[in-house]
This record gives sequence, C-alpha cells and structure tokens, in this order.
Amino acid sequence: MSLTITCPLCGNRNGYEFRFGGEDKGPRPGDTEMSDPKIWCDYVHMNECKAGIQKEWWCHKDGCGTWFCINRDTLKNNQRSREGDSEI
Amino acid sequence: MFGRKKPLWGEKPPLSSGYDAVIIGGGLHGLATAYFLAARHNMKNIAVIEKRYIGFGGAGRNTAIVRANQRTQENLPLYKEGLELWPVLTKELDFNLMFYNCGNLNLAHSEAALKAMRLQTASAQFHGIDIRLVDRKECKELIPCLDISDRPRYPVYGGMFHPAGGIVRHDAVVWGLAKGAAKHGVHIHQGTQVTAINTDKGRITSVDTDKGKINTPRVLNAAGAYSAALSWHMLGIKLPISVLTIQAMVTQPLKPLLDHVVSSGMYHCYANQTLKGEIATGAHMDPWPNYTNQNSAHYIKHQAEALGEFLPCLRGVKFMRCWAGLADMTPDMAPIIDGNDPFQGYYTDCGWGYFGFKSSIVTGKYMAEYMASGQCPDMLKPFNMRRFENHRLMGETAALVNYSPDN
Repeated sequence: MSLTITCPLCGNRNGYEFRFGGEDKGPRPGDTEMSDPKIWCDYVHMNECKAGIQKEWWCHKDGCGTWFCINRDTLKNNQRSREGDSEI
Repeated sequence: MFGRKKPLWGEKPPLSSGYDAVIIGGGLHGLATAYFLAARHNMKNIAVIEKRYIGFGGAGRNTAIVRANQRTQENLPLYKEGLELWPVLTKELDFNLMFYNCGNLNLAHSEAALKAMRLQTASAQFHGIDIRLVDRKECKELIPCLDISDRPRYPVYGGMFHPAGGIVRHDAVVWGLAKGAAKHGVHIHQGTQVTAINTDKGRITSVDTDKGKINTPRVLNAAGAYSAALSWHMLGIKLPISVLTIQAMVTQPLKPLLDHVVSSGMYHCYANQTLKGEIATGAHMDPWPNYTNQNSAHYIKHQAEALGEFLPCLRGVKFMRCWAGLADMTPDMAPIIDGNDPFQGYYTDCGWGYFGFKSSIVTGKYMAEYMASGQCPDMLKPFNMRRFENHRLMGETAALVNYSPDN
C-alpha cells in the first residue's frame, strides 16, 4: 500500500515519514467541558471510521515536525485537496 | 463430487419479512452467534445478512492461530474457554475443523520482555491455563531451526511456551458453522446489504436491506471492521475503533521444520508451518487507518528480514502469496461487546483487532445467551462500551505500540 502526503512545508513525501494523528474532531473541549467524561471520551476515543474521504491530522515526524490536516480517501489511500475533489 | 455445485449451507433461502433476530455480518462471530442461538436457545427464525459472501472478511484473512496467553484477568477466562471449545465444536458440528494443537512459543529478546512474560505466565497459570516460561536452550529444543546464538540483532533470551494453543483451519470453521446453522433453520443471505437499521421509542424495529425490509426486535452488529462505520451511519453511535489493514503472507511449501507457532514481539513477526508445508507469517498493521486490503513492499521486506534473523534457514525462501485483512482496533486491544444500549434489542460484537478468530466460537456462545435472555453473561460484562467513558480501559498490551492515534 502506498501513500504520498503533501506536507505544507516540505511538499510531497512518502507516507511512512508521517505519523497519523487521528480524525479531525474539531477544537479540543474547553476546561469546563473537559470535566464531563462523556465529552472528553468522545473527543479522545470515538471515531467515525469513514469509508471514504475524511479530514484528519498528520505529523511530519521524520521531517519538519509540523502538524497539519489533510483530506484522505480511506478506501483508496490517496490524498484529496478537499472533500469531493479529485486526487492530487 | 463433481456434480452440481450445492453449498453446504443449503440453497438460497427466501428473505422473510420478519425474523426473531437479524445478524449483520456473515463472519465467524455472526455465524457462531446464529449457530448457538438456533442450536442451544431454540430460536429458529434467524437471518445472517452478509454483504459479500460468508468468510469474505477477517474470517478468511486471519492467520488461523488460536491461543489463550492473553494478559488481563478479564480476557484470560474467555480465551481459555474458547480454546477448549474447538474439539467440542468439531464433534458437535460433525465437521473437521483441523484443530492442530501444536503449541505457541513467544520469544523474549530482553530481560524486560522476560519479566513481562513472567507476569503474563503467572496470570495465565492462575486461571489454569497450560503455559510456562522456557529458557533459551528449551526454545532451541522446541524449534531446532531457531537461531539462539548472539548473531541476530536481538538474540533470544528465553520464551513463553503455551502447549494448549495451535492453529485451526479458518475456512473450515466458516463452512462448518454455516452448515450447522443452516441445519437448524438459520437463513444465510449472502450478497445482501443492510441499508438502514430502524428504531422506534428506543427499540429496534426493523432492518432495511437492498432485497427488502425485515421486521425484527433484535439486531447484532457483527460486521467486523465495518461495524464502526455501520454503527455511526445507521444509528449515530461512534465507537472507539480505528480500522487498520493487517498483512500476512505464505512462503513456498517446505519440508517439515517448524512444529509450533513461533512469535516475536521484538521482530514484530509470527510464523507457523501449515499442513501443506508453507510458512504462514504476518503481524504488521499499517500505521494509518484504511479499508484497502492492500499489501505493501515495505512490510513484505520487513517480514523477510525478520524471519531470516531468528529462523536463518528460511533465508532465500520465496513468498508465494500475500494478502491483507482489516482489523478493528480499540485503544485497549479488548473488544466491545454490548447490548440493549442505547437501543433495546441492539447488540454489538466488534473491536476485536488481533483477537477475532480465536475468540469467535466462545463469544458466539455467550452472545447467543445474551441475545436470547437479554441478560449479559458475566463473561462478557467487562467488555461493555461504557468502560471508555469510565476510564476503565483494560491493559491487554504489555507495551503500547503505535497502532492508532490513541497511543
């Protein structure tokens, strides 16, 4: 399986240079919300496991170390520029 | 023998407008639950709905290893009973499941690994599981072709031998269960896709499929790797699951050289010799979720290098074929088994990750009890989904590995 990811700083690189950082779940819960175990559990553990294009976090761990979001098709393992766009 | 092709599980049954229970997923967990519901709980009106064909997913893609050398108090009794059920089921189904009780040897490549195994062995022995620590010399006696010298990058320090484990022919389990279930009147609908699960006032009422609507008070989500997406799309329930591709491969057939399942956490590799002589090996998961079922050159190379290190006689041997399946990993590597929450009549059996094959029969047995009575059997209670909210995760992995963003 191959995956090329575009790092915003370093450009196109082999997917194995990166660390997957989870589905994009919006902003981290605030301090008051975080005391609700359900909200915190949802944010930390729960996934949609979308079979298709999903927005997710990646870190260029073997490169510049930047954290960024991409849209990726989990059925084909390729990066998309936006949801519904063609392969880039 | 070469006559008209007739499946063991009967001809194509008609889709009824109502069933006592609908099981989504014709894999091992779904078929086992259907079989036990029909055979032990006298519930005859059951449908198994499978989108592709039975055994298409994880049931036919795993590496067929069975064992009860898990780590936690919650998991051990389940896998122990699971292991004891193979010979019982072979008799009951009157179908040769080819249970080969060859034993599993886990290698330790450091003092720290040996220490972890000491704890794991003690826990397993406490539950009456046949398992013991072995030193480097005993490892060599068990597997004569093992390299126990100081040459490998990670030399062997010792291991944990579990004689009760072994391998079972996974396809035979699918066929045997399907045959047994059909004999008890279960309808197996292959090539049928569930499109919606309908509820009313917090109860399951019906299931829509591409072949028609089915009224039912009970639904089991046993869709394996697809269960999380299914539960989110159809019922709006998110699960703490990451779906990862796991890869496996077999070598060309060789003369008998490996009598046991051997595994190494350090090399991240396990291997056993099939009855045909092939070395079946695997272990690697892609480090990012995907539904592709593709292999990668990256891991085929790793597998060859790892095997060549501790079993040097395999150097130069060719891989004959490779394949991949999907594993639904939870943050604590324990499954999610739940029922009547948040909908009355809705049951979940997923999140098995690495452990789906070896647990299938025993979980099917208890899941059937759960679905027939509505009461969760004690054996399955620790695996409920609320444990994530309550911060009661189980520590099944000795060391957390980079399986998902959770760790």
